[in-house]
Amino acid sequence: MPGIYVHIPFCKQKCSYCDFCSFPDKSAYEEAYMACLYKEMSLRKDQLKDYTFDTVYFGGGTPSLIDAKYIYGAVNQIQKCFSLSKNPEITLELNPGTISESKVKTYKLAGVNRFSIGLQTAIDEQLADLNRIHNVRDYVYATTLLKGENFSTDIMLGLKNQTKDDLYKTVELADKCGSSHISMYALTVEDGTPIYTDYLNGELPDSDEVAELYEYGRSLLKERGFDRYEISNFAKKGKESKHNLNYWRRGEYVGFGLSASSYLMGNRITNTFDLDEYMKCILSGFIPAVDSEGVLKKDAMFEKIMLALRTENGLDITEFEREFSVSFTDKYRTALQKNKEYLQVKGSRLSIKEQYLYVQNGILMSFMEENEKK
Amino acid sequence: MAKPKSTIRNFCIIAHIDHGKSTIADRIIELTGQVSKRDMSAQLLDSMDIERERGITIKLTPVRMFYEALDGVEYEFNLIDTPGHVDFTYEVSRSLAACEGALLIVDATQGVEAQTLANVYLALDNNLEIIPVINKIDLASADIEGAKSEIEDIIGLDASYAPCVSAKEGTNIRDILEAIVKYFPAPEGDTEKPLSALIFDSYYDNYKGVILFVRIKDGSVKVGTKIKTFLSPTVYEVTEVGAFSPRLQPKEILQAGEVGYIAASIKSIEDVAVGDTVTNALNPAPMPLPGYKKVQPVVFCGIFPLDGSKFNDLKDAIGKLKLNDASLTFEPDSSVALGFGFRCGFLGLLHMEIIQERIEREFNMDIITTAPSVSYKVHKTDGEEFFVDNPSHLPPTSDIEYMEEPMVKAEIYIPPDYVGAIMELCQDKRGIFKNMEYVDSKRVRIEYRLPLNEIVYDFFDELKSRTKGYASFDYELVGYERSKLVKMDILLNGEVCDALSIIVHEDRAYPRGRMLCENLKDTIPRQLFEIPVQAAIGGKIIARETVKAVRKDVLAKCYGGDITRKKKLLEKQKEGKKRMRQIGSVEVPSEVFMEILKTNKDK
Repeated sequence: MPGIYVHIPFCKQKCSYCDFCSFPDKSAYEEAYMACLYKEMSLRKDQLKDYTFDTVYFGGGTPSLIDAKYIYGAVNQIQKCFSLSKNPEITLELNPGTISESKVKTYKLAGVNRFSIGLQTAIDEQLADLNRIHNVRDYVYATTLLKGENFSTDIMLGLKNQTKDDLYKTVELADKCGSSHISMYALTVEDGTPIYTDYLNGELPDSDEVAELYEYGRSLLKERGFDRYEISNFAKKGKESKHNLNYWRRGEYVGFGLSASSYLMGNRITNTFDLDEYMKCILSGFIPAVDSEGVLKKDAMFEKIMLALRTENGLDITEFEREFSVSFTDKYRTALQKNKEYLQVKGSRLSIKEQYLYVQNGILMSFMEENEKK
Repeated sequence: MAKPKSTIRNFCIIAHIDHGKSTIADRIIELTGQVSKRDMSAQLLDSMDIERERGITIKLTPVRMFYEALDGVEYEFNLIDTPGHVDFTYEVSRSLAACEGALLIVDATQGVEAQTLANVYLALDNNLEIIPVINKIDLASADIEGAKSEIEDIIGLDASYAPCVSAKEGTNIRDILEAIVKYFPAPEGDTEKPLSALIFDSYYDNYKGVILFVRIKDGSVKVGTKIKTFLSPTVYEVTEVGAFSPRLQPKEILQAGEVGYIAASIKSIEDVAVGDTVTNALNPAPMPLPGYKKVQPVVFCGIFPLDGSKFNDLKDAIGKLKLNDASLTFEPDSSVALGFGFRCGFLGLLHMEIIQERIEREFNMDIITTAPSVSYKVHKTDGEEFFVDNPSHLPPTSDIEYMEEPMVKAEIYIPPDYVGAIMELCQDKRGIFKNMEYVDSKRVRIEYRLPLNEIVYDFFDELKSRTKGYASFDYELVGYERSKLVKMDILLNGEVCDALSIIVHEDRAYPRGRMLCENLKDTIPRQLFEIPVQAAIGGKIIARETVKAVRKDVLAKCYGGDITRKKKLLEKQKEGKKRMRQIGSVEVPSEVFMEILKTNKDK
């Protein structure tokens, strides 16, 4: 189950909502950065020699912006340094404004077998508003290049002036163009991003309107055969993202590159967000971690619940009890009682009832409170 | 008979808030060289932080000074400062009883104010000699002659010899000192008679026990004297006597005519009542000095710890405040919504605010206070009569024959432009017009009879906002009156929240209920289910609002790098929840309990 994450921090321009670690003005660094990335992998080769990885995920930034040879090189380096399982899922995030036939060819050659395309919305004015570098036609073109491939489409909720009809058009387009998987995210407004101003001016839909859009989108996706398997993720049968499912099972993963996180042997490690610092570390032979913490058992227990309850399948109680040697129902009696209206148990699985998945923070809070008790 | 020293002058200062009382006191202290200018922090007598910040004096702090007058004789001055606010009239009367004279400070730009009058009458009742002092003569808008003629016309004092000063600039302060020597009488009494000393204040000191502030009327007291008071049989041995410099300064002996303090290892302030008389246990005086009447609290509210587990800390805090403030009353109280706390009684709204603030600041506690209430007289159908100040202690409506509420006589001074606005306000507050007169061309005095429960709600704020702050206001209790009062409950998700219940006049119930529900709707965070917010009288719902169920409350993305962040976010929310109270199935933040105090205008 363990996965590998690779961060590519370059993009053409910042989207108006983006607070990820990405730089629109650092393309000169590409080559040096990738060299460091390869080096970081070899630095951790020994540490990870007992692991067999099932998935690889290239995220960003915009991994499809840089020369495709680097992706090829990275997969190559991963294979050289680590052991991968027989049919690893290798995903690449892709921006429709950066794609070409030859790039796709190289990705496939490298072994990439799953793509995640950022469409966000099928309304051109909204794309412009988000400062995306592509339009709807670019998306359609990109999907023709990926014909026959397994790909996912990202769409967004809560955009300025977004109507149900807009959402309908977006879902329809993503489906018609052949997506096997759709991620439908509510826009998260972060302080410091350009869109924050819109938020302050009350120009974005409020949380009730977003919830309304979400419910509508969920029903549209269901009609089209996309089943929800996590709060924001919907897939045709068997097309769930293995890489992401591993996060929600609280599986182990290793992250390479700027700002990447790892969770290995009970430790959460985060790499530096500073590009120069990152390269300096790697070149001096150090792991560029800025933050590393051991996860205590009680925190681990809560994380397990928090992550598992994001999924439609919920938490495997038997597995939980085996992992932590506690009785789940004893430990969380009050939380279970207090939220019995919102929770359901099927076999040994505890999950949030489908209509309450979108309001889970309140439910998680009860588990968190109880977790603190001895 | 041995007369007290003729060089002693005991006096106090009377002034309206802001007329410069503390500044004048500071100047006098400075001029007599009691405290060097360099060491003086502004307004020495206001020793509490809150007093300095608000620019008001709450606790009186006496100070002894020596002044060499123009006649070449050195006089001993004992200045007993007085609080200026209406809530503290009681403290004023206490200090007046310890003096022979009073300086009446009048602001040359504002003239005589309502508050000034009330205290002047108090001073006259105590047979004090009064010297008017015209202050703030340095200001461009000062009208010295106007102020003088007001003093003569309104108060009936001869203002021709009044010192005209500027405390701020230090101008003519010596005139005040000379006037004190010349016009205030020396104390009377007999140093040979048995000890009789009036306790005019007290506070608790961790090392010395209760410190009694006394004015010795007859006899003397020194270390070793066995003393007792008239109200308590316990005998104490004096461990220290002294004067106020203004810090405690031990002396060998306190004699008739003097003002000072006595320490006698008294353990609790409850053991010695302010207003009582200290006498010699072995050779007691035949009669106590005339004391003052015990003050009754008029405004009440519940005070609860925000964190329910801090009840004992709160108990400690209130207990310690009580040590220094005999007028504060409290008894344990419990609320379904707020858990265990105290029902406290105050002399007025300002007193209440100050106590609340002192608990929060001096004891670093977060508290929840319930709506201020007054004491209602309940007549039950079975003939029983009693007072209720806590809405949740009201018997069922069917058992109540009728209720009475406390009424006040309110005097409001305003510029003529605001007469209409104030009359409208008083009508709104169920006031009955009594009288109106022009004090002069710039000021009108309006008198209303008003229910106290309207005043404790938002009267002050309204008064201020409707007159741009120009109104001055004073009130006194004038008894009880039968009234159509009802208890209004607030229901959250169908359950009564006792901490939000109020007693309100029937005619006011509907608008209050509607407004309250609206305010609560906006304050209660949305939860997983819909929450009806209702106002009810008896079983009848008179207003309803709904807090809609939350529909989205989730982090959209949660991948590898988000896990820690997401966890921290939830932890932060959980911390916030510690400040929440559970009412039935509903979680409410503590701010909710303040909503009851708010009006539409606050929104």
